[in-house]
Amino acid sequence: MTKFLAVVKREYIQRVRAKMFIVSTILLPAVMSLFGIVPALIFSIETPPLRVAVVDQTGKMYAQLQRSLYNDSSDQDASSDTGNVPRGVPRRGFSAFVLEEVNPTGQSLDQIRADLDQRLSARTLDGYVILPPDFLATGKADFFNRNPGDIVSSRTLQGALNRATREQRMVEARVDDKTRQALFRPVQLEGMRVSAAGRERDAGGSFALVFGIGFVMYLAILMYGQIILGAVIEEKETRIAEILFSSVKPFTLMMGKLVGVSFVALTQLAIWGLAFSAFALYGVGVLASRGISARIPGVPFSHYIYFALFFLLGYFMYATIYALVGSMVTTAQEGGQLAMPIILILVISFYLFLPVSRSPDSPFSFWVSIIPFSAPVAMLVRIVTQTPPFWQIALSLLIGFGTVLLIMWAASRIYRVGMLMYGKRASIPEAIRWARQP
Amino acid sequence: MAANEITVKLDGVTKSFGDFTAVKDLSLSVRAGRVFGLLGPNGAGKTTTIRMIVNITAPDSGSISLFGQKIDAKLQDHIGYLPEERGLYRRMRVADQLRFFAELKNVRGKVIESKIDEWLARVKLSEWKNKRSMELSKGMQQKVQFITSVIHDPDLLILDEPFSGLDPINVELLKEVVLDLKRAGKTIIFSTHQMEVAEKICDDICLLNRSQKLFEGSLREIKSSFGRNSVAVRCDGGDGVLDDPALVSKVVRHADEAQALLAAGADAQTLLKRLIDSGAVIGKFEMVEPSLNDIFITKVTEAA
Repeated sequence: MTKFLAVVKREYIQRVRAKMFIVSTILLPAVMSLFGIVPALIFSIETPPLRVAVVDQTGKMYAQLQRSLYNDSSDQDASSDTGNVPRGVPRRGFSAFVLEEVNPTGQSLDQIRADLDQRLSARTLDGYVILPPDFLATGKADFFNRNPGDIVSSRTLQGALNRATREQRMVEARVDDKTRQALFRPVQLEGMRVSAAGRERDAGGSFALVFGIGFVMYLAILMYGQIILGAVIEEKETRIAEILFSSVKPFTLMMGKLVGVSFVALTQLAIWGLAFSAFALYGVGVLASRGISARIPGVPFSHYIYFALFFLLGYFMYATIYALVGSMVTTAQEGGQLAMPIILILVISFYLFLPVSRSPDSPFSFWVSIIPFSAPVAMLVRIVTQTPPFWQIALSLLIGFGTVLLIMWAASRIYRVGMLMYGKRASIPEAIRWARQP
Repeated sequence: MAANEITVKLDGVTKSFGDFTAVKDLSLSVRAGRVFGLLGPNGAGKTTTIRMIVNITAPDSGSISLFGQKIDAKLQDHIGYLPEERGLYRRMRVADQLRFFAELKNVRGKVIESKIDEWLARVKLSEWKNKRSMELSKGMQQKVQFITSVIHDPDLLILDEPFSGLDPINVELLKEVVLDLKRAGKTIIFSTHQMEVAEKICDDICLLNRSQKLFEGSLREIKSSFGRNSVAVRCDGGDGVLDDPALVSKVVRHADEAQALLAAGADAQTLLKRLIDSGAVIGKFEMVEPSLNDIFITKVTEAA
């Protein structure tokens, strides 16, 4: 037991003290927040507004288009949300427009187009729209521009034109303002979560939580599995294994490694968890001070325990397989190759969170949350979205940890032989023979 | 410890890997307080034998006892083992490594620290105590590895090719340490394929070849049993005499002298007379003991 603790202590202290640990502890949250912040920053970069000329052959559409383009962001409801944007001011950010009316009377269409084309190539204009006389009936118009790749702008223009046309058609159908507003009043659909505890509001916070948890779980298993792989290969490559085996049983050594590294993983997860909570609390505070109420999705205490249990299940399952692989190969490169199928299984079981979170109580979800290799992510997703009956959770844990014990047994038998085999990579039949040796 | 106490005893030990028999029906006894040389060419079964003594692998049949007890995991703490294939954690500091290896041998408390300082001073590595092992030269790393095998003050020390790759100064240093340990009453098993090295420090030897024992006994005994039937000769001319199979069964020519093994029934006087008669100018003519290497080769040929 003291030898086991010595191995655990060495793994833990050496790893926590390493620069790698400190860097990755700081870097991961930094990278993740970067992914959140950078797109927002990019979208807030101001681009010069698009200068668009409108050749309105209907004679009715220009004013409507101007109104709908300057007033509104979304496709549907001009009535409610955007009242605070003053009229006539183009929206900021992407796809702002400066409109200009071209009066088609007195000139032929070809002549107008020739003029506008010239302005396009002289870059005093970015594009023009021709609304033919029968536009209100056909709804067909052309947008000529230099850059058809700018999908955002043409979509925005299409949306605005769509609303403008609808408005104009209303006017022509003599629908009065009141009726119009009544017809277009938007509906409100609010997500209500129904659970044993009763009904509560849930505005997508759960999904973010599920995704976050699944992702952290997947990342931690992958990362710490690789660390185990590296650690085992190091002991084999540097030939420390034989000295170690003359002092400590291979099984004790392997378990000491797995447990030591699991403590490192839990330490890092705890740091991230605390940092995240602090960040979330701070964020809620900031939002509250601006008069916006936000809520951290409530997480029952039992979920933390389940998270820890399923994390340990996933970690020990995959880390043990990594240890087994490490003892079979001779170099880190070979280890990487042989570990590819494991990573594949991990990736697949991570993406299972999508179908499982959509229908957590389907037979499919049930089975993937019982099969040990996908259970850690799948069962956790089910617990967070729609907590399954307790017996299912217990069954999943039971089968999972049973499998872990089985893998550990096989791995320790292969490990004890493999660690002393230098020279070439062991084949899988060879490894099976080792496992069967007394 | 009594002079004839047995530290390690193997009795009819056999070990196979698949179709390959690495050690076949091996029996041997290592006496306490002596340096026991486990000798043989590469692949003779030395490392497998040692791994069984250290309880890394179990024999298929036969028994192994240490200090009069059947080998088990607890007895491992009384053994120091320096394997032929050895290494250190590259990123770990020297003192941390030594502490870790001592802890794995159940050494606890402040003793460890004083032992670390003592041993580092002894192999002249004190100023490297807090360096990572990857900053050390290969020779220094080897000395640190040596310390890992002795830091827990073992009663039995097993060294597998301990001097390979070391420069002569460090070889002398470690040889001194090994002899000091022997004087302190420790039993040492010394495994090598370099017969010249073994000859200088072993009291007893066991010759292994192709998984089997060729000979076991004290170095003195075996040498005297072969008798002084070898002659070191340095002379100009007289080559034909040395090649006469009636007089010399085997001749090995070195840079400036030759070593001749006398044929059965021939004696040195006759050889000397024949050399003088042939007009050779003799610079050196000396009766010598056969080298361990010669003995080994003779034994292997006999066995074949």
